[in-house]
Amino acid sequence: MLMPEQGQKNKQMIPTPGPGGGSGPGPQAPQVEKPNTEEILKRMRKVDPDQARRYRQRTGE
Amino acid sequence: MEKKRLVPWSVYFGLETEFGISVLENADIDVVEESIHLVRSASQLGSPNLWDYTKEDPHQDARGFRAKELRQDADEANFFSQDRQRPYSFEEIKSDFVLRNGARLYNDHTHPEYSTAECSTLIELIAQDKAGERILEECAKASSKKRRHTVCMYKNNTDFAGHSYGCHENYLIPRLIPWDRLVEGMLPFLITRQIYAGAGKLGWEREDHGMLGGYQISQRADFFTELVGIDTMNRRPIINTRDEPHANPKLYRRFHVILGDANLSEFSTWLKVGTTALVLEALQYERIPKRFFLADPLYAHRSISRDPKFRWEIELAQGGRTTAIELQNEYADWVARYVDLDHPEKEKVWKAWKETLRTLSSNPYELKDRLDWMAKFWLLQTFREDQNLSWDDPWLQSLDLEYHLVDRSRGLFYALESAGDIIRLTTDEDIFQAIQQPPSSSRAFVRGKCIQRFSKDLINVQWDYIAFRFNGQTYRLDLASAFPGVDLEVYCEVIDNAKSVGDIVKNLNLKPMGN
Repeated sequence: MLMPEQGQKNKQMIPTPGPGGGSGPGPQAPQVEKPNTEEILKRMRKVDPDQARRYRQRTGE
Repeated sequence: MEKKRLVPWSVYFGLETEFGISVLENADIDVVEESIHLVRSASQLGSPNLWDYTKEDPHQDARGFRAKELRQDADEANFFSQDRQRPYSFEEIKSDFVLRNGARLYNDHTHPEYSTAECSTLIELIAQDKAGERILEECAKASSKKRRHTVCMYKNNTDFAGHSYGCHENYLIPRLIPWDRLVEGMLPFLITRQIYAGAGKLGWEREDHGMLGGYQISQRADFFTELVGIDTMNRRPIINTRDEPHANPKLYRRFHVILGDANLSEFSTWLKVGTTALVLEALQYERIPKRFFLADPLYAHRSISRDPKFRWEIELAQGGRTTAIELQNEYADWVARYVDLDHPEKEKVWKAWKETLRTLSSNPYELKDRLDWMAKFWLLQTFREDQNLSWDDPWLQSLDLEYHLVDRSRGLFYALESAGDIIRLTTDEDIFQAIQQPPSSSRAFVRGKCIQRFSKDLINVQWDYIAFRFNGQTYRLDLASAFPGVDLEVYCEVIDNAKSVGDIVKNLNLKPMGN
């Protein structure tokens, strides 16, 4: 079904995500105004740090 | 939403989203039990137990055969076996509702799933998709009150521990497009469109485990290990071959896209579905040029998602390298050669596509007001600096999850939106209308109106037909040809004016099926 050119090449290591998107010589850090930053930070500080660790689901489609 | 006349596309599109569910006070909840109660909270918006499963066949393969078994059959059998121990019937566990807006809401693999009504305009689709969020938000509130705990619903695709659930896109297209042409044409496109369609994720996963650290632009890219296949729960393929058109199978194919992320941003959903529909339309006329082919699609899929520098370089099959931005640009230029862009929505999508690609290459951060992955990245970056956290701090992953919470008073996406930091394509009034009414330019109009007005007469419902009882006999309203400009307008007028199902029988000259 695939074009021969699209066959999967033999093993390349898939990179793990970097230490943080945007670091290094890529795009510069956000240079945007931050209106309401304090409001959103306030809401973020209320989020339970362990919430994602406790969040478990069954596999879906 | 635009009030001027909506010009339909020549395809139907729809979205089916599995939502995550949890209870704030108890991490060890039974998600199946919670899902049953949650979905049943929607009873005022629709009718239960009408869905007709007898015509569904997820084993039918677009490559021209019927798969003997799917890899997920064993998992599903296991789930059903566990669920049989519960004090509920199959119907109660499924809790399958057809809603007054033409959508379907039910439990699928323990996830509440909202399938939008089919739409033939993008703006109606966005409103219908948002209507689903609002319905589930209300269901969570009602269920929380009844069960005396806080039910949380997430429109995302992962639990960060290797368990993914989908937001599938459906495009009803002419079957005359050769399947091989679709596969080769859609592979490079779907793999690279994540640069604007991704919802963003902190960490990375394999089946059954996850790791902290690093930000990637796609929620789902970690879970795709095959190029082409029929499975959807294990060894997921980039191109899914399930062949269930829910329309005349001789004329139509439903192209089933399973690799996309669930988007909160209206713009992301709009651009994702719009560009995909444009490419599918162009494929009616021509194959993609061979220079678009990727050397290693599966590797490209993950490496684009995980590129911390947002350069998204990829290797081409004919040699040399390009970037996802460049390849998407080439797709956009190629589409413009075949698709008539003298159509209001198509033209808007095409221009937004080009503009988004331009901005992604110059300053992607400007797109934090419209692309989910960038809005989330900005949130996490801002919080990380505020709290002096490293990128592998679990708190950031919890914020990632909170971005997707559909409760507008707590969810982080909605915090941005209510502050005016996210652009919108609809109004609250549009969404309220989409909760109450089906889209006007698809067969879903007929389904929704029948649910609103004649639900007591209905026997069963599928995407392409409605069966009802009249004078002791069964009639079937076939919607297989209910498309704009074909039979749809006639059906809509008859349904609109009908005082009873008898009027439908009479005015559409339906014959009894026999009992």
